[in-house]
Amino acid sequence: MTRDCESILERLVEGVTGLVPPAERAAILEHLATCPRCRQEAAELEATVASLREAGSVTTPPGFWGEFMRGLSAAVAGERLPVVLRLRRWLVMPRHAWGTALVAAAAAAMVISTARPPLRPETPPDPTRATARGLLTETMATTLPSLGEMLDIWRAGLVTEGEPLEATERRP
Amino acid sequence: MLHYGEGGAWLNAEDLQLLEAFRRGEESAFTALVIKYREGIYRVARRLLGNHEDASDAAQEVFIRAHRALARFDGRAQIYTWLYRITVNLCLDTRGRIARMPLLDDGELLRDVPAPEGIAEQAEGREVGRVVARAVNALPPRQRAMVVLRLYQDLPYQEIASIMGCSEGTVKATMFAALRKLRRTLTDAGVRAP
Repeated sequence: MTRDCESILERLVEGVTGLVPPAERAAILEHLATCPRCRQEAAELEATVASLREAGSVTTPPGFWGEFMRGLSAAVAGERLPVVLRLRRWLVMPRHAWGTALVAAAAAAMVISTARPPLRPETPPDPTRATARGLLTETMATTLPSLGEMLDIWRAGLVTEGEPLEATERRP
Repeated sequence: MLHYGEGGAWLNAEDLQLLEAFRRGEESAFTALVIKYREGIYRVARRLLGNHEDASDAAQEVFIRAHRALARFDGRAQIYTWLYRITVNLCLDTRGRIARMPLLDDGELLRDVPAPEGIAEQAEGREVGRVVARAVNALPPRQRAMVVLRLYQDLPYQEIASIMGCSEGTVKATMFAALRKLRRTLTDAGVRAP
């Protein structure tokens, strides 16, 4: 057996099963024309493949595919897919898509409305006012109801807006 | 028309559309894939397992497994290559588990042989079918799978290699060995080429 024969035998199996490109097939045939041993091998392989292919095609009993599909649908419906996958598929399912979009929009609106910052920033507590009010006892406020108000008016006249009381008091 | 898959393979456009529809949640896309490939899957299972009942169960199990994993299918192979791989692995496992059972149900196989004209030819055809089926079933499991995929499903060597998880060269060498073995068996049994 020559190296040519070895190379041809490797490709012969492709040749007899019909997968060799025309150019390669021509090279195989050229070799077979001059080599009785490879010719014999090729003929036997061809005959084997023909016998195997001739040995019948697979058929199914009548009505089999209908039964098969019913069984498969039932089995697939009973399958428990992973939670993440089921959730993902449920969310993108066309019959749920609009409902999902509405629920998502409502949830987003609720989150935005609760987390919305106030339109005006809250006024920081006036320390002078707190201090002044803190000086009034409950008894004083009860006996002299207008005292707190008077104190506020008095302070408003002395203190400029945003300036602490202490600063005003120290002013010469 | 082929489209580039996520993993590097060229996916058939129709399969790609069905895959995307399935990922969007359309169950009918899966049904379409089943209808498209069920016969090929069943035929391979039938030839590897030797009888209708086991082949039917195996084909159903293949599609159940495919349904479970299809959303994560990475497109590194054609969908049918992937389905054949599941089928071959499942059938080889099943055959391993039921190895104590008879290798072949002759009655089942005879049903597959097309009946030639005439009583004598019919009888001869049945006998040849029986001998060929026995010879194929006597091959080692992986050799048998490769012979089935190449000779009966007409798959290219490259795809058989992908299904069997080996190199193309290994498939060719295995096929050559399998065909020589089959030739000896058929010659010994007096089977003539058609």
